[in-house]
Amino acid sequence: MINAIRSELRKYFTTRLWWGMAIGMVVAGALAAAFFAFTFLRLATVDGGSDVPFDLDPTQIANTVYTAALPSGIYVLPLTIGVLQIGGEYRHKTITSTFLTTPRRLRALFAKAIALVIIAVLNGLGCLVGSVLAGATTIQLLGGDPFPALEVLRSLSMLLLVMVVWALIGLGAGILIPNQVAALLIAIGLAWMVEPFIAIGLSFWDWGAQNLLQFFPTQATSAVVNNVDFVAMGAARLEWWAAALILLAYALILAGLGIWRASREDVS
Amino acid sequence: MMTTQTRGESAVRGVQLEITGLSKNFGAFTAVDNLSFSVRPGRITGFLGPNGAGKTTTLRMLLGLLRPTAGTATIAGQRYADLDDPTGTVGAALEATGFHPGRSGRDHLLVLADAAGIPAARVDQLLELTGIPAAANQRAGGYSMGMRQRLGLAAALLGDPGVLILDEPANGLDPEGIRWLRGFLRHLASEGRTILISSHILSEVEQTIDDLVIIANGRLVREGPMSEIAGAGGALVRTSDADRLAGALRIADVDSSVQEDGSLLAETDDLRLVGDVALRAGLPVWELSAKRSDLEELYFSLTEGTNRNLGPGHRAVGSDDPGAPVEQGAVSGQEGAGQ
Repeated sequence: MINAIRSELRKYFTTRLWWGMAIGMVVAGALAAAFFAFTFLRLATVDGGSDVPFDLDPTQIANTVYTAALPSGIYVLPLTIGVLQIGGEYRHKTITSTFLTTPRRLRALFAKAIALVIIAVLNGLGCLVGSVLAGATTIQLLGGDPFPALEVLRSLSMLLLVMVVWALIGLGAGILIPNQVAALLIAIGLAWMVEPFIAIGLSFWDWGAQNLLQFFPTQATSAVVNNVDFVAMGAARLEWWAAALILLAYALILAGLGIWRASREDVS
Repeated sequence: MMTTQTRGESAVRGVQLEITGLSKNFGAFTAVDNLSFSVRPGRITGFLGPNGAGKTTTLRMLLGLLRPTAGTATIAGQRYADLDDPTGTVGAALEATGFHPGRSGRDHLLVLADAAGIPAARVDQLLELTGIPAAANQRAGGYSMGMRQRLGLAAALLGDPGVLILDEPANGLDPEGIRWLRGFLRHLASEGRTILISSHILSEVEQTIDDLVIIANGRLVREGPMSEIAGAGGALVRTSDADRLAGALRIADVDSSVQEDGSLLAETDDLRLVGDVALRAGLPVWELSAKRSDLEELYFSLTEGTNRNLGPGHRAVGSDDPGAPVEQGAVSGQEGAGQ
């Protein structure tokens, strides 16, 4: 198992995808954090001159700034990594040599999933480095409190969880839609466009906003990092741990379906 | 040259491959149909059949990549997926395209070596052995077909396996590469490995193999040692007095026999010698051509008649149709005469 995981990690780090992703993570995290920090604190200064804009709690502001990459849609990057991890094997027919060296397929596929978790965490850390450096600097410059509470650390670690979850969803999608290009388009389309739009639509329907919306992936993502919710203000929101469980359930169901299928299907 | 010291005396050497009642349907299409044969340990077995005969499907079932519809395929009595050390037992090179274009050949091998717990030094050793150490650091997307074949072969040899399964390994190799491959396979076989090598071209493998398995339409056509199946070829000559030419050939140490149609079949592939003898005997040569061996005859009729990729109803030249075979024989006759 350890061997298979090491093999999967080497696969990721021997193509140019990995450093492109790493740069993307750091830069996107930094830009989103700086922009959000500037928006919150600058607006506050213009409005009332207070250090605390609107009636928001500084902890929630810090949470939002450091995880600003999430509502900006950075989860499509781990999603892409997940799809490519298996989709690339189908596309370039390397899945044959993968299953030849590790013919117990469940072992090979679980090794993939575990390697993906490690890769997602590393990329998430890259995103956090960018976000915290740029976000804290901007908050500091504009006179805010960069680290108002310990809860901020929880939000940071939850960003890593969100990265892992979306990567595993990508793995599942990549297996269930064997054409890599189609898998990428469909997964990103659903996650980035369709789901958020449905979420916005639902937020205008009272019952939906109170009973359904909180289970949507993007809404659960907001809840888990406890940021300021732009999409559906006033909608019901899960506790952070409940939201984490919901996200994990999405990941396990999709990746599990994919692994089950890939473990038994013909490889030709 | 090969590292046999680490695993050399292990039990994997000289194992038997057994295909028993193997079938595979893809929807309504029967790719492999109740196929049974065995591959004997320590020998090179040629697995021949026209394109689309079911060779690759059979090999993929043997390697656990496809689920058989019926039957079993085992390696030393075990299914591939149940082997304790698959990479150290069986090495397979299935298709030349299985590389990520953005990954270097060396990294590709390292990925496989990781999964099998094989040290990186073995990778460099194999790159040396297959003759691609320099190119291996470039991205595989730019590799020629020949390089891909060599890289595939290096991958198959990673675990120093006792069994090698090579699917059309000569595809895309230039004549120099084919000569290299032939020598390489002999070297591997001399170390006592079991080698199963598939091809759709008889001449590509007939000089290399000990045993032969021919399939067509997913069914077994012929199986056995080359020495039994092959039979001898000869020179077919037509002249005014076949008996006199036979006598003249006898003096030149060539046996011959008069055929039913009055032609003479000389047991030699030296067409020039037959012509020279006829000239010295003052006999006219009306026809002189190389006659293919029974095996060539058999295989030719198969490849002509059963290529399913051409679609149904394409029933082509059998051995009773003299047109095409004679034509090809005449061509090889010219080659012989020209040397």
